[in-house]
Amino acid sequence: MPNLTRRDLMAGTAAGAAAMTIGGRVALAQQPNTLIIGNQGAQTHFDPHGGQDYPTSVIIRNVYDGLVDVVGMPPRIEPRLATDWTVSGDGLVYTFNLNREAKFHDGAPVTAEAVRYSFERIKAVGRGNNWMIDGVVGPDSIRVVDDHTVEFTLLQPFAPFLQVLPWISVVNPAVIEANEGGDLGQTYLLNDTAGSGPFTVARFEPENVIDFRRDPTYWREGGGNTDTVIWRYVRENTNQRLMLRRGEIHMAVDLTSDDMSALEGAPGVVRVIEPGDRTFSIKMNTEHGPLSDVNLRKAVSHAFDYDAMRSVSGFADLMHGPLPSGFFGHDPSIDVPRKDLDRAREYLAQTAYPEGGLTLDIVHVVGLEQQRLWCLVLLDSLQELNIDVNIRPSTWPDMVRMCESPETFPDFFSVYLGVSYADPDVIAFAGYHSSRNGGWQNGVYNNAEVDALIEAARFEPDEARRAELYSQIQQNIVDDAPDLFGVVERAKVGLRDNVENYEFSPIIVQAVSFFPLSVS
Amino acid sequence: MLSYVLFRIALIVPLLIGLSLLVFVIGRVLPGDPAALAAGPYATAEQRAAVAAEFGLDQPIAVQYWDYVTGLFEGDLGRSIMTRRPVAGDLALYLPATLELVAASLLLAVAVSIPLGLVAGLTANRAPDMTISAGTLSAMSMPQFFLGLVLQLIFAMWLSLLPLSGRLPFTVAPPPAVTGFYTIDSVLAGQWHTLWLSLVHLALPAITMALAPIAMITRIMRASTMEALQQDYVRNARALGLSIRLILFKYVLKNAASATLTMIGLYVGWMLGSTVLVEKVFDWPGIGLYATNAILNQDFNPVIAVTLVIGVIFIATNLIVDLLYGVLNPKVGDR
Repeated sequence: MPNLTRRDLMAGTAAGAAAMTIGGRVALAQQPNTLIIGNQGAQTHFDPHGGQDYPTSVIIRNVYDGLVDVVGMPPRIEPRLATDWTVSGDGLVYTFNLNREAKFHDGAPVTAEAVRYSFERIKAVGRGNNWMIDGVVGPDSIRVVDDHTVEFTLLQPFAPFLQVLPWISVVNPAVIEANEGGDLGQTYLLNDTAGSGPFTVARFEPENVIDFRRDPTYWREGGGNTDTVIWRYVRENTNQRLMLRRGEIHMAVDLTSDDMSALEGAPGVVRVIEPGDRTFSIKMNTEHGPLSDVNLRKAVSHAFDYDAMRSVSGFADLMHGPLPSGFFGHDPSIDVPRKDLDRAREYLAQTAYPEGGLTLDIVHVVGLEQQRLWCLVLLDSLQELNIDVNIRPSTWPDMVRMCESPETFPDFFSVYLGVSYADPDVIAFAGYHSSRNGGWQNGVYNNAEVDALIEAARFEPDEARRAELYSQIQQNIVDDAPDLFGVVERAKVGLRDNVENYEFSPIIVQAVSFFPLSVS
Repeated sequence: MLSYVLFRIALIVPLLIGLSLLVFVIGRVLPGDPAALAAGPYATAEQRAAVAAEFGLDQPIAVQYWDYVTGLFEGDLGRSIMTRRPVAGDLALYLPATLELVAASLLLAVAVSIPLGLVAGLTANRAPDMTISAGTLSAMSMPQFFLGLVLQLIFAMWLSLLPLSGRLPFTVAPPPAVTGFYTIDSVLAGQWHTLWLSLVHLALPAITMALAPIAMITRIMRASTMEALQQDYVRNARALGLSIRLILFKYVLKNAASATLTMIGLYVGWMLGSTVLVEKVFDWPGIGLYATNAILNQDFNPVIAVTLVIGVIFIATNLIVDLLYGVLNPKVGDR
């Protein structure tokens, strides 16, 4: 028996495999309307209200519909379930008219009641993207006017309201209630769907593959020719690169800068490198330890070698202040720290360590080589001030734990922040509002004035006044120097040249919208 | 004999209790906050507490352990705190993939290393032995993930002979699940093309996994053969004029096999615990990756379940190995 297997394997290696591989390619070519996307998003469920990672966003965009959609670059809001809407002058009341054609996968119409049910459900589940409407949509906020009209009365004005709506999906109440299971259907949605979106799921293997099929009865007009999309978990980004080069996959969504460089000039491959949605900063412990002295933080901010950071970051742009440039509200006129050793030494002279001679800790996620490089840049930069840096790789759960209190928070903390909806509020609130203290996005920094400004900007309906508020927020944060403002990584997507109608959007880049895509 | 088997099976229970206790305690004394991690970055303190309460993490560790063990007796391995999926269901999906890979590489290893070891032992310190020994030495010093990448580069990228990764091509649906082994299931379903595809996909990862055991077992086999050849009974058999073929296959091989068998038993455990690198390189959806992700997220239930499953398989394999000793050597069987 062993010999048989051995012979099989040897035969596979030697001869038959050639035919096989060719056979495999033929099989691909014989399925003309099939698009294969390689990704590292381990998909484990189909609950649009149950997660906030990018695999969940893939489901939200393709299996479900939201009231509105966000597309393109710069991101713009477009109608989806709602054909049109009105906003009251005080920014509190939003009235949406629903598309009468909209139907769930079981044929039932998408009604105003389904919209109300879905918002109630995400609030009850309390996870996923619920944070986006927390404190904005209350228990009595939603009124069903008639079958196709729904009215939201917000608890307080919330300027980014339309921007968060693409990420709150509408689910089919009949399906959820039939499979309620005592947990709002969460167990049911681990393997099944309840949507109205352009695609349904034909086959699912958790953390491996999803076989999406275009719903032939989908209610929206248009769309591309792909009727099958295979969403395939490819764990190694190098494998994604190799498969894209070989034409085994049509799209790769987790490529690194090195991969992009290696793909330069590869035949049949199109590289998309656009302004990204992920910032990297080094947070400082503003509350405990030596860095609670603002002068030391400023000394560090002026000693840091930003150009060196840029040069080890691959496809990335230096941040100019706390908010990512390219989004509404970013103020490019603010004077942000750049390497200037004279100023650094002036600030240092005003601290308890005028000659340096101290050691500061920085933690980064173990195994993330990019973060380690940035830590080395810091180590190198601070030697100029006679400050030693102790680099501590740590697991992510351990790092989350460190954020519990200023005493456990390290001197420097490496952190990525994602832009999950197209508004500066997402970074300002998550990264700098004191209500986030104790979490990893903003472990310790708090400033009552900045808090008040962030809240005001959140609720301000007037665009010009909002922009002014964000300007003040950025100035105040820069004055406090709680972070070494790092880089915005460019978004990187690899495509085969036979993929058509792909439109880049910087919001959750990996969550590709399949609807318009065609393969020729 | 039967009482011995029963005794050994009964021994599994205290072993598993010890194992589970160890993993349970280690998991909980490590710093980190799995509930905060699972609740996500925007969760409020109440939401984090709710997740902790839902998964019993707010209970004293003794209570948590008791709940876990009583659950085990009902076949409940708990749920993953990160994905909320039942662990038993996940294991049913990932374990066969790993077992298929381990079985294939073990069969490959045995099929290659026993003849090689035998030849090396027979030709000790002459050219064939020198070549084989040099080969095994370099094979042993080759890191697995590196070998995997090199094989991918040569056979998938340059020669385009074999697939880069995965268990089947993206567009091919797996055979109806019976055992979870794609090879066996496609035979059962009569899907010969799928069988062929799954064998071709198995080739590179199985070779990668098999190389180190091939080297090790070859060396053990070589030493055992050399030792057996010097025994009195071989000299005696030769003096009696028995053909070398008969001596070799009837006596020497059987005696040399027991040390090799021990190695194989140990390798099952080693392979189950070390598939993760190969799984990552070849995108093999097995328990190694599942456990690694769980460890990184401090997702206790999958970690304990994988540890226990590997433990059970390891103990069972070694029980079988011990029983096979008795077949090979009646002196051992007398116990």
